[in-house]
Amino acid sequence: MYRLLAIFLFFSGMAFAQTKMSVEESKSLQKLVKQKSEQTKTISSDFVQYKHLDFLSNDIESSGKLAYKSPDNVSWQYQKPFSYKVVFKDEKLLINDNGNKSKLDLGSNELFKQLNHLISASINGDMFSADEFEIAYFRENGAPLVHFLPKDPKFSDFIKAFHITFSKEGTVEEVKMIEPSGDYTRIVFSNRVENKAIPDAVFDL
Amino acid sequence: MRFLTFSLFLLLLGCASYPKKIGYTTTEIVSQKIVNPYFSDKKKDYVYKSNITVFKNTFGGILVLKKMDDETHRIAFTTELGNTIFDFSISETEFKVNRILKELDRKILLSVLEQDFRSLVQEKTSPLETFEKGENILNKVKIGSKIQYYTFKNDTLTNITRVGNQREKVDIAFFEIGNTMARHIQISHKNLKLAISLRAIK
Repeated sequence: MYRLLAIFLFFSGMAFAQTKMSVEESKSLQKLVKQKSEQTKTISSDFVQYKHLDFLSNDIESSGKLAYKSPDNVSWQYQKPFSYKVVFKDEKLLINDNGNKSKLDLGSNELFKQLNHLISASINGDMFSADEFEIAYFRENGAPLVHFLPKDPKFSDFIKAFHITFSKEGTVEEVKMIEPSGDYTRIVFSNRVENKAIPDAVFDL
Repeated sequence: MRFLTFSLFLLLLGCASYPKKIGYTTTEIVSQKIVNPYFSDKKKDYVYKSNITVFKNTFGGILVLKKMDDETHRIAFTTELGNTIFDFSISETEFKVNRILKELDRKILLSVLEQDFRSLVQEKTSPLETFEKGENILNKVKIGSKIQYYTFKNDTLTNITRVGNQREKVDIAFFEIGNTMARHIQISHKNLKLAISLRAIK
């Protein structure tokens, strides 16, 4: 009996933590995020990344700095526990792996092009394209949470779903990329600064 | 005539066993059990920043190793951004691919990785023969179907070397060893242009 009660409480607790958004609410969120992303030309932010693999005792934690410049220049600079920088710029992927520099041309690779586009889109949150995703809207502990499920099987082989948590202002606070196995990468942003000029060197190696 | 003697000498050296070639002499088997302690703690996540160099291309990523039970280890490789490239379960006799990127799902590659990782994580084995050179002990063992040599310097495992036709094929070298952990590991292939470098980040 107690067990039944515990199960019931657990599920009802979950229901309280995550509720579906009404259609009106989801429309106003879309509008807010779109507006915000149109006004945002640059973003710099700190991030902490948690890689979750089910078989590990602890998530693998790394952290660094993100820079974004509209429309699709992105720099991820990992500082801890290793030094690694990856830049998406002009359909190219630039990597500086602790001094080892390399460059990959994405122009010929449709999948990487899409990935680049998605990464930019997930940073400013404007991913509300019904052609590309099945979209579901929730609130979790009051904060808007949107699930994006890629429709293209080429893509869903990599990432089954993006879960993006937004702030009240319509900015992205957290991105969770879930792999087909259920393992995921969760990235939490903090100290976000918008529309402040970012030196070009940030998008070089 | 001198040339012939020299050729014969080379031929004999060529046929010599691997331990003899590198200056070891046979000795009595001291211990029936050999232990590789570097991936033996079930409670620990072993996490390494890795660089894989194939021909002249280098790929970075994170290699994660975990002892699941007495026989099995789980080994996964992800990009720095978090995407899983491969995920294997491996024991002395079993090899299961839990996930691999379609582009990398090639028999030859899988077979190379299977052999390398099996040598890397195999925890317990028994020596077939033992050799010595000064302070160093060399143990000949068989893992799966492959002959390997374990080098111990002052009781610390420093190298696992796979040998075929009395020649070194693959060498796994352990560096920065402390608290039953090797913080730097270098896997070098002698026949393939493939090298894997691992540096612990946890």
